[in-house]
Amino acid sequence: MAEFLNKPMGRRTFIGSALAASALAALAGCSGGNGESSGSGDSGAAAPSVGENYMSFYLSEPAYIDPYNGQENQGMAVIHACFDSLLTWDYNTNEAVPLAAADLPAVSEDGLTYTFTLREGMTFHNGDPVDAASFKRGWERVASPAMATPSDICYHLAPIAGYDEFHAGDADEITGVVAVDDLTLQVTLSAPMADFPAVVCHPSLVPVPQAALDDPASFLEQPIGNGAFKMDEPWQHNQYILCSRFEDYYGEAPALDGVYFSIQADPDTAYRGFESGDIDFAQVPLGQLEDNIEKYGESEDGFTSTPGKQVMTGTELSTYYLIPNLDDENLAKKEVRQAISLAIDRQAIVDTLYEGYREPANSIMPLSIDDNERNIWEFCQYDPERAKQILADAGIDPSTIKVTLDYNGDGGHEDIMSSIQANLSEIGIEVTQNTLEWAAYLNSLSDGSYGLARLGWTADYPIPDNFLYPNFFSTADNNYNGYNNPEVDAGILAARQISDEEQRRQAYREVCYTVGEDMPVIPIMFYAHNYVSSERMATFNYDPGTIPHFETAEIA
Amino acid sequence: MFKYIAKRILQFIPVFLGVTLILFIMQNVVPGDPIKLIAGERKLDEVTERNIRAQHGLIKTDADGNIIYDENGDTIETPMYERYFTYLTDLLQGDLGTSYQRGTSVSSIILQKYPYTVQIAIVGIIIEAIVGIGAGIISAIKRYSFWDVLVTLVTSLLVAMPAFWLGMLLQLVFGIWLGNVTGGAFSFPISGVAGPLAKYPDWMYYVLPAVTLASVSTAYTARIMRSQLLDVMNQDYIRTARAKGLSKGAIIRKHALKNALIPVVTYVGMDFGAMLAGAILTETVFSWPGIGRETYVAITQRDWPIVMGSVTVIVFVVMIINLIVDVSYAFLDPRIRLGSSKNEG
Repeated sequence: MAEFLNKPMGRRTFIGSALAASALAALAGCSGGNGESSGSGDSGAAAPSVGENYMSFYLSEPAYIDPYNGQENQGMAVIHACFDSLLTWDYNTNEAVPLAAADLPAVSEDGLTYTFTLREGMTFHNGDPVDAASFKRGWERVASPAMATPSDICYHLAPIAGYDEFHAGDADEITGVVAVDDLTLQVTLSAPMADFPAVVCHPSLVPVPQAALDDPASFLEQPIGNGAFKMDEPWQHNQYILCSRFEDYYGEAPALDGVYFSIQADPDTAYRGFESGDIDFAQVPLGQLEDNIEKYGESEDGFTSTPGKQVMTGTELSTYYLIPNLDDENLAKKEVRQAISLAIDRQAIVDTLYEGYREPANSIMPLSIDDNERNIWEFCQYDPERAKQILADAGIDPSTIKVTLDYNGDGGHEDIMSSIQANLSEIGIEVTQNTLEWAAYLNSLSDGSYGLARLGWTADYPIPDNFLYPNFFSTADNNYNGYNNPEVDAGILAARQISDEEQRRQAYREVCYTVGEDMPVIPIMFYAHNYVSSERMATFNYDPGTIPHFETAEIA
Repeated sequence: MFKYIAKRILQFIPVFLGVTLILFIMQNVVPGDPIKLIAGERKLDEVTERNIRAQHGLIKTDADGNIIYDENGDTIETPMYERYFTYLTDLLQGDLGTSYQRGTSVSSIILQKYPYTVQIAIVGIIIEAIVGIGAGIISAIKRYSFWDVLVTLVTSLLVAMPAFWLGMLLQLVFGIWLGNVTGGAFSFPISGVAGPLAKYPDWMYYVLPAVTLASVSTAYTARIMRSQLLDVMNQDYIRTARAKGLSKGAIIRKHALKNALIPVVTYVGMDFGAMLAGAILTETVFSWPGIGRETYVAITQRDWPIVMGSVTVIVFVVMIINLIVDVSYAFLDPRIRLGSSKNEG
């Protein structure tokens, strides 16, 4: 062996073969990558060639693009492009309108049964017909405990009769969802919920073809939908998702040839990609909104971009708030929570940290949900003098109040928390900050080991119930601090049953007012868009629920 | 030689078991519940949480997949040793498990990501070897010249500069600024890999990330090469060669270089192993879909199957690279005998 090693030829052979091996490895690696990417561009006549009329849309890596688990807005952007639900929300008129359904549902007198009639002639991207059974199939996948990873958005279907049994694995189907015939889907609720059509608008409550059950692994990577765009190839993780116009779409054909979801590791890289002209839509980095508005112009409605008016700053359906631990001796007192809320200068936070482009919260929900004074919370003003007065009237010495401000250190919350800390010290409340890593932070929220903790809430549907029920109903899952006011519980349940739109809104306003007096949470601000589109986009809408509307987008 | 290699491969087993066992223990020590992290701030209802735990084998189920409850009606957590055993038996069958967050198989995720890490590592190591060794040789031969000073300055700068910062600087200069200056005629892509909407030839996507990845180690390679070569050039046998009348070029090529290269090869080889383990910062700055960033994200999400899977692959690759580096000594330096026993020596 040693003699062999000493031979000069041996060394050369070795180095040569090592080089050859690396070259082979390189080739193997390269062909893997290129094979995947070029496959789409020139794979046969069926696939349209990718070109100028494609919108390049920035996405961070989604969690799921299979609608059964569409849980965050990145995945939902793809799902909305590829799937149509029965109804969709019209933000101009603030109501649900038919999409895959021919009309709004017929509602039974007891308010329990909704009958949807489907449009005729709809097909999936693979040619299968879209019928009532495919909706039942799609909805049951959302609630099924037998999926490889069961969905965590199954709660959307909780109002439906038979959901609990199916979800717990005790039944084979959701009995409340019945495909009466090909075009009729009947949904029975376990209790009246007049806002149910808003739930049906959710982009994840869509039909799926049989293929979703036959080959779930493929469906996870390349779902087959009934929407205006179809996926031409599987999801290229951390790289892109490519969709092209579905030629057999039942609705109006979109103007775009397709959408190229450009997946970027962080928003700043995406923004540099936008500046270099590679990407048509990106998030504006913190602190650069003014500069961008100067350069690209501001969208008129805050949600629609047109050339020269490209920066979108509209208020989203998301609230940034603090949640006081109601087991804490001080925070359990309503007056302390009210005083804390009054002491926080929300406008200053928004102005100094977000260039004034977020909205100081004056309620748990933005007024775009229901623009009525009754929804405005009295204690969300900035009035430190009144804060001191409230404490004095209640006989509470502020110097005895010591609270921790808990938050995750990886989300850019530090500046906000420092402002709040400074505000509270002005009325004599001593605050210490407690920063945790995200995973540990979630643990502390579940354990109840926090003082004042930071949370965010993003609405699933733009209705008051979706802000009030999940956060303030005594047994709701997201009611982290166990707030329990029987008046609020009863008010929500009663409001759900009112079929008259205006009366229902009025009932929710009263619930919202009651919660606002109790202050079980301390709202800080409403999130707002900070996005910019390229001048190439003749029109593009990114709605308050952070859903991009490619179906109406146009390239100049 | 073969005996040596076989022995080294056998040594992989305890190392591998050690690494994976430590990781498994960490899963129980590091705070954070992977299933709670799936939903994030929005709390999961109990039934959903239970269903997800059952599907991932975190609580006990019977053969039909029904959840088993104890006498109090609570679910029973699967003990760590049982999960570790399942992991090992699955691994022997080539199954790396299913991601908690995404529900897809870990092997498919790794198969998708790892080629990108390998590609950029190969381009990076080629840059490192050619530029690093070249600069080191020039700077040693032309000691104290302008070139030597330049190499010293540039290497000091590169060593001091964090990779992500250099990456962003390259993006600004070669991606945005160069594009503006040439009126959009020429610039480098600043993120991702070539896709269907690619505006550049495929190879251009490798340039900036590979340069960033290789920057610091190229500087070190140049420094090691320079000092080694200078050291060797002062050895007696080089003086002898010079006395024999050999030309400077011949001395360097035939005598000095080979000896000076040994520590450089060690360094470059080890660095290749490190590059194959993925580069979180470079991959993030350039949105490069490699394994480093994937693992990092999985750690923050406590997506243990992905962490275990990628670490398993990385450990194997790094061990193999190290073995190749060790074996290569024997080829570069005849004085080194691997695993030599007396009868072989």
